[in-house]
Amino acid sequence: MGRPVGIIGVGQTKHGRRMDVAYPELVREAVLRVFEDSGLEPSDIDGVVSGTMPSMMEGVALTHFYFADAMQAVGKPILKTETCGSTGVSIAHTAYYWVASGMADVVLAVGHEKMNEGDAQATMTTVAEPFYQRYFIAGAPGVFSMQSQMWADRYGIPEAKIRDAAAHISVEHHNAAFENPYAHVKIRVTADDVKNSRVITYPVRLLDVCPTSDGACAMIFVSQNKAKKLGRKTAWVKGVGYRGEEYFFGDSDKGLWQGAVLAAKQAYDQAGIKNPRKDLDVAEVYNPFTFQEMLFYECFGFCEPGGAPDMVLKGTFDKKGQLPCDPSGGVLCTNPIGATGLIRVAEAVLQVTGKAGEHQIPKAKTAFSHAMGGVDQFNGVMIVGSEL
Amino acid sequence: MSKKVAIVSVAQSAGPASKDNFYDQAYRVTRECLDKVGMTRDDLGTVVSASSDIFHGGISCANAYYWETTGAFLKNASRQDGESLFAFMYGAMRIMTGQYDNCLLLALCKGSENPENDTCTLMFGDPFYHRNLGLTETTSAAFQMQAYMEKYGVTKEQCAKVAVKNLGNALRNPYAHRRGKYTVADILNSAPAAAPLTDLQIAPKSEGFVAMLLASEKKAKKLTDKPVWFKGYGSSLDTYFLGDRDLLKTQLRTAAAQAYKMAGIKDPKKEIDVAEVTEPYAFQELLWCEELGFCKPGGAGKMIDKGTTEISGALPVNPSGGVLANNPYVSRGLQRLAEGFLQIRGEAGEHQVDKKVKTALAHGTHGFAGQCHAVAIIGV
Amino acid sequence: MSKEYKTLMTEIRLPYELAYGPVWTRFFEGMAEKKIFGTKCTKCGRILVPARSFCPRCFIDTDEWVEVAQTGTLTAWSYVNYRYYGMPTEPPFISALLRLDGTDVDFLHLIGGFDVSDFEKTRKMVKNGMRLKAVWSDDRKAHIMDLKYFKPA
Repeated sequence: MGRPVGIIGVGQTKHGRRMDVAYPELVREAVLRVFEDSGLEPSDIDGVVSGTMPSMMEGVALTHFYFADAMQAVGKPILKTETCGSTGVSIAHTAYYWVASGMADVVLAVGHEKMNEGDAQATMTTVAEPFYQRYFIAGAPGVFSMQSQMWADRYGIPEAKIRDAAAHISVEHHNAAFENPYAHVKIRVTADDVKNSRVITYPVRLLDVCPTSDGACAMIFVSQNKAKKLGRKTAWVKGVGYRGEEYFFGDSDKGLWQGAVLAAKQAYDQAGIKNPRKDLDVAEVYNPFTFQEMLFYECFGFCEPGGAPDMVLKGTFDKKGQLPCDPSGGVLCTNPIGATGLIRVAEAVLQVTGKAGEHQIPKAKTAFSHAMGGVDQFNGVMIVGSEL
Repeated sequence: MSKKVAIVSVAQSAGPASKDNFYDQAYRVTRECLDKVGMTRDDLGTVVSASSDIFHGGISCANAYYWETTGAFLKNASRQDGESLFAFMYGAMRIMTGQYDNCLLLALCKGSENPENDTCTLMFGDPFYHRNLGLTETTSAAFQMQAYMEKYGVTKEQCAKVAVKNLGNALRNPYAHRRGKYTVADILNSAPAAAPLTDLQIAPKSEGFVAMLLASEKKAKKLTDKPVWFKGYGSSLDTYFLGDRDLLKTQLRTAAAQAYKMAGIKDPKKEIDVAEVTEPYAFQELLWCEELGFCKPGGAGKMIDKGTTEISGALPVNPSGGVLANNPYVSRGLQRLAEGFLQIRGEAGEHQVDKKVKTALAHGTHGFAGQCHAVAIIGV
Repeated sequence: MSKEYKTLMTEIRLPYELAYGPVWTRFFEGMAEKKIFGTKCTKCGRILVPARSFCPRCFIDTDEWVEVAQTGTLTAWSYVNYRYYGMPTEPPFISALLRLDGTDVDFLHLIGGFDVSDFEKTRKMVKNGMRLKAVWSDDRKAHIMDLKYFKPA
């Protein structure tokens, strides 16, 4: 694993429709907060990792130029990590490797997105080349909904039950968002509201889908020595996993998503996790769609393949359940894409350092975070713990 | 450094337009790089690629499209945006943790398919201020060149000599895109672009797929008799607003200082045997040489007059022809490093320098007037 | 959050010319002739469609060409009922993955040829595993939309 790596600070913006600020100001808001949270100064930073979604969504190319000052990155080494939807977790991975390799002691990681300024679904369509797949992937919801449909049809589970479980997740997360001061969508919904909302991309309905958010997230990764000197509450990186599959959507089975299974396995092996449902105290799963969240539970070994709808309905993954998932309200309530994966890691860090406030899971020691992206291709996982 | 990292294999594609598609070209270069050391996809540890999104390729989240072309199916891989020396650093870091014993790097750019370079660099600017004024890499380089000549009395002929040298060197590089035997007058009389820059002082728009295999010390020794070792790296980012910067005091100094410190280099002029720098504008090679400490500020004009940086000189700079000869935007940093690797191994063919090469420096830059710089040092 | 400050409406349009390369040139020329081509990997034996220059898993060139069947079974689908820039056709429409007979990966295309305006009716009709058959356009341009859609067989 290289040198031990800790995380000692988290900064998030208030996520939402942020037309009150220009993009660099939004980035700066998160960066100022991480310095405030960690007690460090910009001069303490050895290197900066930045990342976002592709230029078309930003309307600006190579955003590290424009945001150099907002990130306090002037005069510092920079890495610019981008892996589509999984960008945020890939940023965290980059910062981790930077410190673990011994090349830096203190690394600032920044992810950001101002989705309301561009056309997110049009951008997603251009993730596919214009010869073949671009015509059919229907933005992000298209592929992810086909995957959801494939999964939902696989185990002979009645459609009504799956819809009940999806509605349960939606209600639970929308309620959870009220306990997260940074969350975007704060509305109370009932299961009937979810089930009767408009079909967007079947089986996904309006209240099964994440919003379009503006937001940024910043975190500070440090070496063990530095953490010891600072003497602050630290979350330790226990496992780092990532896998990617072919570009061609039809090449791999997405119903039991091998890339997701193996990304989690890599992280579990490093963290010594044998029984995820028991060994993990909380999980922040990247869940822009309720149905896909159930598929992830199965891929990550939180339950058996085909077992997710029953477990969801039993409350296993509720805030008070055996393995609370997305107590922050998750991606379903907040999705500034380039920051979203990093927010999952940040929420995991808040949980294991006891700083999650109203949405704190009591005694959380080990937390799982995840992001996915590409044309249903990429999965990245980071596991953090309260003990080294 | 905790763990040693070596470069064990490189492969690259040629600069002119190819009718092959992006996806297939990427696969072929990866395949060639692995084949050179007899590696299979199964042996591949991790992958870090470098590319640029839609404006430099027409496809967003570029690595979604080319993922499997790098051999990365079901591997742990990642991507850097904009500068391929970033990918080198990230790949080296992954090996240094001990988690992987090899890492494939792939830089991808198919310039022939893209809009003009400056149509893309215009998009670096914010949409409210810089972009509306038409600020591009070329216009900002023109400001920088003017300031450079005025401050130090470096002449436009001395700047043009860089293009004469590099386009001449490129005659010996089979991968080069633009090459030729030119005189200083030819360069200065080429079509005016953004004054004082003329056409032949500005890099073309090229294709370039560059693959490089990194390995841990143990793995490197199994794969090759001639590993080239990673010695030092540095990078630094400058402030965004062009008007807030001193265009002649760049972050290359900071980046070079970090790299030299890591590599234990005290006197770069003596200790670097060959340098491959990113000079999309001819005069920038002079300015970068000064910032890299190869001579004193303002001294590079005399240095090129003396022939120091010629392929047969005491400190050859861009024996491959550099970026003036081949400009695949994102790939150019890694291409410089690949050239350094070939020089150290004595495999640069007709553009092999005359002297023994123990230590090579590769430089990458992107952004207005060099807003970001990266420097890598490799050696025997 | 209420809007207190100004915003700028702007648009970016950029031209690209993208190479098909030899493999996809042949694949798309096949489309114009109402043929669907795949390539076979000699190592794992999989027939990949659309045709590829290499096998992503075995990482070797795939130069054995196969004309594949124009019938297949439905693997997954989505009823797309929202608008976005660059849609292939007016919504609602059905995006689908289908396994063409004799091939080893799923092919991505549209399902059509019947009235999809009513979602509930459509859902009763479209089932994974249903048989599908290619329908070609009369006006073909060596383009992916030369194949109009797959209709229930």
